[in-house]
Amino acid sequence: MIVEDKSKLRYVSKDIPRKDGVEKVTGSAVYVADMVLPGMLYAKVVKSPYAYARIKSINTSEAEKIPGVRAVITGKELNYKVGLYVVDKDILAKDFARYQGEPVAAVAADSELIAEMACEKIKVEYEELEPVMDPREALKPDAPLVHPDLGNYSYMKGVFQPRPKTNIPHVQKIRHGDIEKGFKEADLVVETSFYNPPVQHVALETHVAITQALPGNKVLIYTSAQSPFTVRSLFSVCFGIPLENIRVKVPYVGGGFGGKAGIHLEPLTYVLSKKAGGRPVKLMMTREEEFNTIPSRQGLYSDFKTGVTKDGKITALEANYYWDAGAYADYGVNVGRAGAYAGAGPYEVPNCKIDSYIVYTNKVFGTAYRGFGHLEVLWGIERNMDIVARKLGMDPVEFRMKNVLRQGAYTITGEKITRSHGHVYDCLDAVAKDIKWSGYKSEEEREKEKKTGKVRGKGVALLHKAPAMPTFTSTAIILKFNENGSVDLMTSLTDYGQGTYTALAQIAAEILKMPIERINVPWDSDTSFTPYDWQTVASKGAFMSGNATIAAAEDALRQIKEIAAQVLKCDVADLVCEDEKVYLIHNPDEYLEYKQIVNGYVYPDGTSIGGPVIGRGRYIAQGLTNLDPETGQGLPALDWTYGAHGAEIEIDIETGEIHVIRLASAFDVGQTLNEGLARGQIIGGVIQGLGSALTEEFKFSKDGKFLNASFVDYKILTAKDLPDSMEQYLIENPQHDGPFGARGVAEHPMISVPSVIGNALYDALGIDYFRLPLTSERIYFGIKSGKKEYHD
Amino acid sequence: MIKPVAYFKPGSLKEAVEALQTENAWPLAGGTDLLVNMRNGVEHPDLLVDIKGLEELNVFEVDGKIIIGGNINLNFIIDDARLRKVCPVLGQSALTVATYQLRNRATLVGNICNASPAADMAPALYVMEAEVVVSGPQGERHVPINEFITGVKKTSLKKGEVVLRVEIPNPKVGKTAFLKKQRYRGHDLATVNVAGIANPDTGTLRVCIGACAVTPVLLKGTDELYKSIKDVDELADKVSELALQSISPIDDVRSSAEYRRDMTAVYVKRLVRTICS
Amino acid sequence: MKEYTKELNITVKVNGREYHESVPANMTLLQFLRNKLLLTGTKEGCGIGECGACTVVMNGKTVTSCLVLAAEADGAEIRTIEGEAKGEKLTALQESFIKYHGEQCGFCTPGMIMSAQNLLDRNPKPTREEIVEAISGNLCRCTGYEPIIKAIEAVAEKGNR
Repeated sequence: MIVEDKSKLRYVSKDIPRKDGVEKVTGSAVYVADMVLPGMLYAKVVKSPYAYARIKSINTSEAEKIPGVRAVITGKELNYKVGLYVVDKDILAKDFARYQGEPVAAVAADSELIAEMACEKIKVEYEELEPVMDPREALKPDAPLVHPDLGNYSYMKGVFQPRPKTNIPHVQKIRHGDIEKGFKEADLVVETSFYNPPVQHVALETHVAITQALPGNKVLIYTSAQSPFTVRSLFSVCFGIPLENIRVKVPYVGGGFGGKAGIHLEPLTYVLSKKAGGRPVKLMMTREEEFNTIPSRQGLYSDFKTGVTKDGKITALEANYYWDAGAYADYGVNVGRAGAYAGAGPYEVPNCKIDSYIVYTNKVFGTAYRGFGHLEVLWGIERNMDIVARKLGMDPVEFRMKNVLRQGAYTITGEKITRSHGHVYDCLDAVAKDIKWSGYKSEEEREKEKKTGKVRGKGVALLHKAPAMPTFTSTAIILKFNENGSVDLMTSLTDYGQGTYTALAQIAAEILKMPIERINVPWDSDTSFTPYDWQTVASKGAFMSGNATIAAAEDALRQIKEIAAQVLKCDVADLVCEDEKVYLIHNPDEYLEYKQIVNGYVYPDGTSIGGPVIGRGRYIAQGLTNLDPETGQGLPALDWTYGAHGAEIEIDIETGEIHVIRLASAFDVGQTLNEGLARGQIIGGVIQGLGSALTEEFKFSKDGKFLNASFVDYKILTAKDLPDSMEQYLIENPQHDGPFGARGVAEHPMISVPSVIGNALYDALGIDYFRLPLTSERIYFGIKSGKKEYHD
Repeated sequence: MIKPVAYFKPGSLKEAVEALQTENAWPLAGGTDLLVNMRNGVEHPDLLVDIKGLEELNVFEVDGKIIIGGNINLNFIIDDARLRKVCPVLGQSALTVATYQLRNRATLVGNICNASPAADMAPALYVMEAEVVVSGPQGERHVPINEFITGVKKTSLKKGEVVLRVEIPNPKVGKTAFLKKQRYRGHDLATVNVAGIANPDTGTLRVCIGACAVTPVLLKGTDELYKSIKDVDELADKVSELALQSISPIDDVRSSAEYRRDMTAVYVKRLVRTICS
Repeated sequence: MKEYTKELNITVKVNGREYHESVPANMTLLQFLRNKLLLTGTKEGCGIGECGACTVVMNGKTVTSCLVLAAEADGAEIRTIEGEAKGEKLTALQESFIKYHGEQCGFCTPGMIMSAQNLLDRNPKPTREEIVEAISGNLCRCTGYEPIIKAIEAVAEKGNR
């Protein structure tokens, strides 16, 4: 659906304050963290101090004696496996603890304090084993196996292929064109390698769930989760409980960023509740556990070999990705899959070969994180593009312009770019102009500037991302009219800050022709009451639920018109809706108000027709196919959102400190749904990406101990760390099947922020950096090394 | 979580000293280090003696000598206009400690009693030749700051003793500065911190470096360099060389030893240029 | 020898209302507000004073309530997010947060508003630098801070409350 005349839009595109604003600024929004149920117990976990160990014995007798302890549980008594794609994880580690911080036992007690003190009394005997901490080491034939039983696990067939007796739960391959021919056609071949460390989402509300095992094999779950229906389905598979017996409620969620997709604390709180006689059990992670126990973003090693012609056309790209999945596959295998099919960047690469290895190690495991692999692969891709351009003696903006995907080109999975796609080049153009890009500075200019102690540099970087989701992903919206003609919009999408609920209300108001104030989006999502939605992930919420909202609103209007046609004695086609009224097109004085219809129309004599109006809308992903397991060819992308960043930075050459002067970002959003929310989401994402660029990384000791699992030594950016100025460009080349032409832009802002800083660093210093984060220490040692390439 | 503990808020110093003599009793002032350590299971006091009610610890004077009581928080030090005039380096240092909210609780005395090698208030107190006034069962004693901090998280405080105040007997006019290298602009512990004072009339130059040894390091022999070298850049180089000979930094999660060394050189030079020109 | 107690009676005024409660000495002010008074607007984000989600105003000064014992708050006057709006009437700052999208997930918002309001109370016309200093102890992972700074600046320009 495309907007023909934007000036007629009343709500869509406008800067409308979020629907949940008052609740949030008054502190009255209730999160799971705030909830207490009658009879509720509090849980705490005992965690492995070793990266890899055999659990020889667990003695819980002292803990059980403590007054107020209601349940103590260890892995031994739990015969369940959990997993999204590869079912490889126990609820509590049994036999082996595979990362430092993995829960091995748990206690439910009358208070958190009693539970914690009981946990301290649980004695676990371990036999420490040699851990494997690096994915490249883990690929070696003699590497310790993190999952000796990998061959026996169940997994999602047709999409993933675990390799038994290895540390590889999946390899995603892309084979496009003829890679050998591509390199033969090249005048120049360039090889580069990059690294990203694991990092954390750092939602301000840590993971928390309250679960109650109810009689009749029923379960009630309150959870700080992104995807109530996915929690329900994975829970059902894990315990063999029918879906309809499981009710998952999601109230306000204090941030997610992918970390609360999937399933986390729900199974453990369930088994504790069951053991405690059915009392509800609450488990909330401490901040330290959020780092050390809850999954993170995977680390990545990436290698590129790029073939180009003298005039700057890419002929071939070979990439190898080695993902540091940590101890369990979780979303990691799918991140590696998405990273592969997006693994050439938003460029036309006629001949491409990618192998994306997802590799188990003895680290805290990886999961979905805003960007879903794209920030990681694009760190390398966009640094590589600059380096290749330079080796060609070509301007990096010009080089990109020559190679970006344009209408008629094919992606590396064989998808044709159509007029419904966005324009990468518009984004690039916007940021290049914003930062007044005029090419790299010369070595003389650099040397002259260095004498002042400060040196400036500019750079650009591109990005793309499409939702990574099953081909049949679907969602539904229900619009339920209240007696006064107002509307409740029911969705199981969760709004943990993105503003999607507000955008959906705008869409409903636009189609229903009624004031936005009269559209209510009730919190919570509830699998027993709100309609199906696959997951709140992948930047597909506004797109898919937006389309479903349009369908639901049209469905409601059709019902309203059908009743009105009878009352007004006309054909449905003669009716028009405006201002909560339905009227005759040829006689606007003859009308009915919605509120006269939506709960049944009553004639003057008391007879009635119709009844409560409920609009129903659904959307299922269109045109997607599975990828061929050998070549990766197919259509994985619902909608590609393209974007670009431009940056200007200043380096203190004595200390290596980066000061960001300007960060401009452009996204082809198709159609802006809410300008204020869109800008807010972009600014927030860019700053989160800047954290990945400058400060954030997990640090481990040689024996696998997590060294910085707290805010003391894991630093997310503060208000003091912002660029001097930022700008956002909302480019609008419509997506023909998007709601009002819109595309998702939730994850995209943080992608390629590290790359743009890395590229600007080269311009400033004439040094290429290959590893993140770009701390002042790393930059300083790069300068000190005197080398043009700094690989440490 | 914080484990069960007894709490007592004495109304007099005598009561406080008495309470502090009981088994495993700790004084509680701002609590911004102690409560974190208790929550993390690093410290396990049986009794917290809340000293915030003690008048002796609320003293604050800047006329003549500077007196800062044990209950004076860091935001007070930053905001006090008279202190800013007489001894700006204290406020400069305090402004880099933690966050605004924490500085409403955290005290200067607490910062040095915690005795972290990276304590941001320590280098300034070293160069100002501060004294720590301690009260205990045996009465009061004055301890020079560099004898008060004895090691990583170690002080010369004895059982039952409480720090009443810090005194700077001679806040002589001299140019001072404090510089801190941290990992980003937000609140952070120091990678390296340096404070200095230079007084051309008396020929005094004192420079102290934090986070690069078990205790802050007050450089020895700076006066001689200051008196003999007129060129400030040359002086900065020489003091920086002296600094590198005096420190013994370690590798840790915040920084490599090498980066600490190199940043010490940079920051000492910057400091000397600031206070000596 | 004196006996020292692990349970104390305290009197605390919260948002203008006086409470007399018995509390264990190891209870933090944050736990007291959330678990005892059921004022859950104040959040816990880290428990060690690093994130500012638990910021409340104690005797006119912001503190991280996770690092204050309830016992230490005996006799104190506390302001929390629940005391900001007067019935349906939001403060100018709360209105401004909504207008400028200063909140996303909302979890840092109560602490952020307490820090910002306290700044405006002691300094009605803060500079951008002063705003940044006042809120930099409040971590936010959603907004990138810029909209929050704008929301505070807008109130400062128009006048507080």
